[in-house]
Amino acid sequence: MSDPSRAYKWILLISSLVTLGFLLAAAARENVTAEWRHVQKDYQRILLAKAGDATSRRVAGQFPVEIRQVTVPALNTVDRCVSCHLGIDDPRMKDQPEPHRAHPKELLKIHRTEKFGCTVCHQGQGAALTFHEAKAEDYFWDYPLLPASLTEASCNSCHDPRALPRGAAAKLVRGMELFDEKGCWACHKLDGKGGQLGPALDNVGLKTKHQFIRANLKGSQTVWHWLSQHFRDPMGIVPGSRMPAPALTPVENEALTVYMLSLRKRSLPEEYLAPDKIEQKYARLHPPAPNGEALYKQYCASCHDTGLYTRWDKNFQRFVPAIRNPSFVRTEDDECLLANVEEGRPGTFMPAWGPKAGGLSKPEMEALVAYLRGAVKPAELAAAPAGGSVERGRTLFGRNCAGCHGAQGQGLIAPALANPVFQKAATDAFIAETIRSGRENTPMPAFARAGFGQAEIADLIAHIRKGFTK
Amino acid sequence: MIENLKALPQNLRDSVVRYTLHPTSDRERSQATFHNLFLHLQSVRVHRNTLRVAYSFGLGLITTASFVLLTLTGILLMVYYKPSTELAYGSVKDIHFVVPAGRFIRNIHRWAAHLMVVAVFLHMARVFYTGSYKKPREFNWLVGLALLVLTLGLSFTGYLLPWDQLAYWAITIGANIANSPREVTDALHITKFLDVGGFQKQLLLGANYVGQEALIRFYVLHVAALPILMAMLMGVHFWRVRKDGGLSRDETAPRDPNDVFSPTKTYGLMAVVRGRTPAVGRGPEGTVQSWPHLLWAEMAVFMFTVAVTLALSYFFDAPLKEMADPAIPENPAKAPWYFLGLQELVSYSAFMGGVGIPTIALIGLGLIPYLDRDPRGVGKWFGGPEGKRIFWLSTVFGLISVVALLALTVNCGWLRNWIPSIPQPVITLINPGTVIVLLYAAWSLWILRRTASLRLSAVALFTCFLAGFVVLTSMGSIFRGPNWQFYWWPSQWPVH
Repeated sequence: MSDPSRAYKWILLISSLVTLGFLLAAAARENVTAEWRHVQKDYQRILLAKAGDATSRRVAGQFPVEIRQVTVPALNTVDRCVSCHLGIDDPRMKDQPEPHRAHPKELLKIHRTEKFGCTVCHQGQGAALTFHEAKAEDYFWDYPLLPASLTEASCNSCHDPRALPRGAAAKLVRGMELFDEKGCWACHKLDGKGGQLGPALDNVGLKTKHQFIRANLKGSQTVWHWLSQHFRDPMGIVPGSRMPAPALTPVENEALTVYMLSLRKRSLPEEYLAPDKIEQKYARLHPPAPNGEALYKQYCASCHDTGLYTRWDKNFQRFVPAIRNPSFVRTEDDECLLANVEEGRPGTFMPAWGPKAGGLSKPEMEALVAYLRGAVKPAELAAAPAGGSVERGRTLFGRNCAGCHGAQGQGLIAPALANPVFQKAATDAFIAETIRSGRENTPMPAFARAGFGQAEIADLIAHIRKGFTK
Repeated sequence: MIENLKALPQNLRDSVVRYTLHPTSDRERSQATFHNLFLHLQSVRVHRNTLRVAYSFGLGLITTASFVLLTLTGILLMVYYKPSTELAYGSVKDIHFVVPAGRFIRNIHRWAAHLMVVAVFLHMARVFYTGSYKKPREFNWLVGLALLVLTLGLSFTGYLLPWDQLAYWAITIGANIANSPREVTDALHITKFLDVGGFQKQLLLGANYVGQEALIRFYVLHVAALPILMAMLMGVHFWRVRKDGGLSRDETAPRDPNDVFSPTKTYGLMAVVRGRTPAVGRGPEGTVQSWPHLLWAEMAVFMFTVAVTLALSYFFDAPLKEMADPAIPENPAKAPWYFLGLQELVSYSAFMGGVGIPTIALIGLGLIPYLDRDPRGVGKWFGGPEGKRIFWLSTVFGLISVVALLALTVNCGWLRNWIPSIPQPVITLINPGTVIVLLYAAWSLWILRRTASLRLSAVALFTCFLAGFVVLTSMGSIFRGPNWQFYWWPSQWPVH
């Protein structure tokens, strides 16, 4: 007669042993072999080796192995980085390898660890206790550890980078300059100013990788890798993007990446903000006298270039008008130029720049118009011939104009004549003069030389004003 | 006084243990069993069949053991967990990183929860296939169904608590499933007067979105309301197991001639004497003493569950994604795995997948013991070779039909792709979900006609549903990627 519970006794024995084994293993993993314990013991060894006298030897001998953390309630952070980075504020540790090394540049003297913690500048997962989890690059954490080369991005949260001592945040300042130089404003808004073709960039530094299209991103999936790859080849990363590659050297690429990462809309307690940051914040209320040339470079140059020549834009697949061309400026008065800047050209890539759209103030737009005009005074235009026939105009337009301006004036490679802003801003006299004399440095020929007289011009104007079907 | 102090340990023990901890005779063992609150839940003697591993696989006990583990680890987690949208995620991170044994305990909680859901499903299948729902166990089958629903409810409410992306979007999907009666009320234009879906969702979330109200509701349900209900129903369930005749067995099987007594029993004795007769070690009617045999079995299954859970928890961490962010939808957003079969059905018709088919399935399951009154076949897997044949046939039929239907849907689309202007009510009525239910029902009716046995037809239907459940759940968990597109493997998913 066999024991009916024999099998169960074996199962019980084996299961109990397995349970015991895993309990012991889990206990060992946490209490003996944890990474931070090894680091702290190494650190103690370094302390002992560096101890010069009996007192410091005794202190080093009593060095407690325990989890350390910096709690900063004002920033809502608990950073346990200091469990392994024990020597950050110890000048004796300058020559030690990471994680024992002293913090470089003596930055901790100004930014005391107790007040700032670590992650407010370095990002990363402060709650973690292993380097892999703290770095959090391939981990479920929104803000992985910033590489040392990009940490400057965090300075912008509390400082006006341009007000910092020279060289303190060189990359960040260079990035800001590049943003102006490359005319990024033409398509991207910051603080309510800028074009609307691209996304606003106010908070791009706090976006997580999930908010970027990463289908074509090879290698590291971090936000900074995305940004730098995107600057190299915008269309390769975002298919269908119209953004031109900004032509950056690797150093500039990094600088612009740092600036992008520094754009964080984050409300920090006032006591953390440097006075210059507060000044920077309120400087917008007292703008300096606008500089037309600088404004042109920021907002216009990336499409219109110098504005002296018409240029073919391969991303837009159209010609961009030469808006500083003397023959153009001569025919337009300031009012007309201002209307074009303020309202843009709906239906084309030219955005409106008025206070409610592109965010430019009246004085700024006036400064821009003054810059466009340069030294060229508006000419006294001869009055346009009247009484043309729409019918004849249509035939003429079809033969001579539709190839560039489109049969319905919708604009192909040349400006759209049916455009409401054009219709409103352009006077008949301006149109007549343009047909007659053409536009230097652009494909628009002078039709007077092709034998167009007053009658033909009158017919064309009649057609341009009334002939396009809506 | 000194003497009393000396005798204190002995007296203390005697006062705690009502009988003895070291019974030597069967009589004492019986006494020990029914003089103990916990042990008296089981009968003094159990049939040898009860101890057969291959009969019950200890699935009920595994479920119970998981529940015990979940209660213990859950209480420990409650000490550190903070049910607020601001703090919840951080507190779970702290449990993971610094709370002593916190990571291990959370892992155990997670794995025991999965194990419990799996075990409860398998337990139901075992009870069904061994015909153990039959008279007098019908009511206990219903209690078991309630426990199944409670288990899913507990798991689902626990899913939200970490407040990470996984939790947030899974519960958003779950809440939208609760909202699915809207599909019908919208089609009938009566949502304004009778908004069942909206009411269910509001009741669940306390708002129109998953937020603080939802979190605190789920927390209360998860740590108080549902566990108490669960414990009470478990008590009823065990008590009925005992009162309804213990673990089911084949009462019609021929007796072992070596058994002490013949089937007609007229005995009344408390113990069997020891000696060198063939009857030694055998109780009346092939029973054995619960103490120690059943206790060994129970302890073994319990420790087995613990060992498996611990092994899984040691190697695999419970998931914890980024903090919940309503602005960044997960794609695909998936409900907890046991609801992914339903989510797959919801992708065809929200109402049918979310309400119609689960209701039909639950009502059908509840009706089984009241429709199948045939007392034969209890205590035998599939009720005998005929049942086994039907089981395998139905498995094949169930798998092939659901896979074929899914293949058709994935490759050729469904009515909406063929006739874009088709009204929604038609799709609500005719979609892959309802078609598969109809196919299964037809198959089971055909079996009923062929065999004239309700039991076999029930086996066919249950098996088909089980096959459908497994395939649909795998479909939802493994083969559905971003935008609920079909992919052979998650590694083929596009990034974003």
